[in-house]
Amino acid sequence: MMMASTTVESAFLKIPSFGFVNPNNATSKLVSRSSVSLRFGFHFRSCATSSASAAEPASASSPSSVVNDGAKLGPGSLGHITRPDFPILHQAVNGSKLVYLDNAATSQKPTAVLEAIQNYYESYNSNVHRGIHYLSARATDEFELARQKVANFINASESREIVFTRNATEAINLVAYSWGLTNLRPEDEIVLTIAEHHSNIVPWQLVAQKTGANLKFLELTEDEVPDVGKLKEMLSKKTKLVAVHHVSNMLASVLPIEEIASWAHDVGAKVLVDACQSVPHMVVDVKKLGLDFLVASSHKMCGPTGIGLLYGKSELLNAMPPFLGGGEMIADVFLDHSTYAEPPSRFEAGTPAIAEAIGLGATIDYLSGIGMERIHDYEVELANYLYNSLRSVPNIRIYGPEPSRVFKRAALCSFNVEDVHPTDVATFLDQQHGVAVRSGHHCAQPLHRYLGINASARASLHFYNTKEDVDDFIRALTDTISFFTSFK
Amino acid sequence: MQSLTQNLSFLSPLFSQVSESPEPKKIQLKSSFFKNPIFFTSHKSVHSPDKPISTGVFPKNSIFFTSPKCYHNPDKPISRNPRNSSVSCITAHEIPLQPLTVPEKVHCLACEFKSLPEPIDRVKRLLHYATLLPPFDESGRVEENRVKGCTTMVWLQVEMDGNRLMRYKVDSDSEITKGFCSCLIWLFDGAIPEEVLSVKTDDLAEMNVGMPSKGHSRVNTWHNILISIQKKTKNFVEVKDKDRSLTEFPPLVGSTDGFSVYGNYKEAQYMQESRQAGNEVEGPT
Repeated sequence: MMMASTTVESAFLKIPSFGFVNPNNATSKLVSRSSVSLRFGFHFRSCATSSASAAEPASASSPSSVVNDGAKLGPGSLGHITRPDFPILHQAVNGSKLVYLDNAATSQKPTAVLEAIQNYYESYNSNVHRGIHYLSARATDEFELARQKVANFINASESREIVFTRNATEAINLVAYSWGLTNLRPEDEIVLTIAEHHSNIVPWQLVAQKTGANLKFLELTEDEVPDVGKLKEMLSKKTKLVAVHHVSNMLASVLPIEEIASWAHDVGAKVLVDACQSVPHMVVDVKKLGLDFLVASSHKMCGPTGIGLLYGKSELLNAMPPFLGGGEMIADVFLDHSTYAEPPSRFEAGTPAIAEAIGLGATIDYLSGIGMERIHDYEVELANYLYNSLRSVPNIRIYGPEPSRVFKRAALCSFNVEDVHPTDVATFLDQQHGVAVRSGHHCAQPLHRYLGINASARASLHFYNTKEDVDDFIRALTDTISFFTSFK
Repeated sequence: MQSLTQNLSFLSPLFSQVSESPEPKKIQLKSSFFKNPIFFTSHKSVHSPDKPISTGVFPKNSIFFTSPKCYHNPDKPISRNPRNSSVSCITAHEIPLQPLTVPEKVHCLACEFKSLPEPIDRVKRLLHYATLLPPFDESGRVEENRVKGCTTMVWLQVEMDGNRLMRYKVDSDSEITKGFCSCLIWLFDGAIPEEVLSVKTDDLAEMNVGMPSKGHSRVNTWHNILISIQKKTKNFVEVKDKDRSLTEFPPLVGSTDGFSVYGNYKEAQYMQESRQAGNEVEGPT
């Protein structure tokens, strides 16, 4: 299930692939923190609920690097090097150092991105695609440059295959209403999994109601991953769309998208992938995966909120009717009818989120400067460390597969503590220890219902997290459990 | 009349010392909450000798750890607006006499939580109040009683008693949320509907443990439960008002003997509609 090691670099900025700090500087500097003392202040105890098989560390070969390979999680790790780029991480919350472990909800933004947005507003803020004056021309150039960067980042054929939306949710709704209402007929089938985010369920419910199509949901195996073996059996000539996540925001499991896309195409179905939890963390190549549609959110990949992306194959986008009507998406407007622009403009009605798009472009520069392969390799190590550390805490139930050579986990763990509500856990972690985790259903209520729970807590990491963050989290969680146990 | 100790039981978390002796002990209250520390006697031991007290963990089953109670001095003018309330938190020189209204209780509760120095202290205080919540019947944990929009499960039962006072039962699967619920029950149980409906979520912002946001949010439990309480209270009021209007304003029927009251409004409507439809209906024309 590992992604192929295709490197996608920005064509517009060539920089060393390690120790990168700020791609917008004329000279890129290698910044490394002074050695960080490793803390081993807590004691691992066997977990009463741990499963029998021992997890093997997931290892992925990583490109050699002058400074940081070897002790991947030790001093000088990617997390230590990049942390100075994220000003928000250096603060205290409720009297404790902030430990931010809610990256699956939204990621933090590096200074480079913040500066790009500020620079836009300070230097050339102007509406795009409209004016002929200098500011407008520059804004338009930067906006379209950002679109090209996104296209390169996911290896799309051309920038016109990238539609900027407000977020991934809007992107899925765009496909549902524009492609779906045109192409779905009664008795047609849309295949999803029960582990989908609500944004990849509800739009299809709405469109299925209008068209008479049916939704089919793939369930989980005993390892708590979507049963890919059964997925192939679910596909038939009736299947018109397979809409699945790449990485589960709750289970941390990774689907074999390339295989799934191949099966779907064999029966004539299209494939839409929710890549919100994969694009920020690994190389995603839409051509290699054979995707028809892909959606992602900027704010989960160190970019600004308010902008997301839809990738769609040219021939599909060209055939799709508009989603929203207004300015920009038209060619000519008459009183009784209008003609429409070509994609992507056809799907970008109104003034777009210009600053945000430019910020997303800067984000891609930053991530490309580090290298998505390097980010992925580091996060695999961190994911295993998080899982093994959490598993050693008594009375913890972690959801999703155990990491192994077969199952790779993303760097997140959803879990529950026996007899303590996850919201109570998260509140105490925040109030007493400054540790930020998520509690609730993570926009995956069907999955929670399937697992027989109402809610769970979730710790999710990104490349700027460190081993010490995990240690602090485990220490805080142990104290939290001890508090509630003694309270009862 | 309640003893001074019982009257001041809401101050129990502020005790700096506790006593195990069955003999009455003098206990000094130490807190910036008071102008001067006051002394009073306890009538029972305040914690079980078998259960050591850890920092911030309060023992159960103590006469002092009852629901928070506040009283106002009748000599002080009272404002219905909790923000403008002149009810000050009780001082050593004031002897409380009368129960507070809902706005005054809100003010009192806000004072209590505001006085806690650290956010974690507010969490601990809520956990303490969670232990005071009355048991909730399992049969009440049904979908129609669920408070929507919360990340935790909350069940709410609302009734109006014969004196037109609101009665509430609430429960949650989260201890902190239970603490919120306990505070809300103390605020509203036994209150008149108008007082319940007058409280705004902003008024409870001081108690919002860890949640600086005052607005609508899945994790803003105060907001969600308060809205639910008020919605259900309003429904009760509307139903009761409708029933009352039917009985208070029955139709007048004119006859050769004069005017008299007959039936109720709904009956009169039915009779009129039926006659217009050409059906024979009993009753005065």
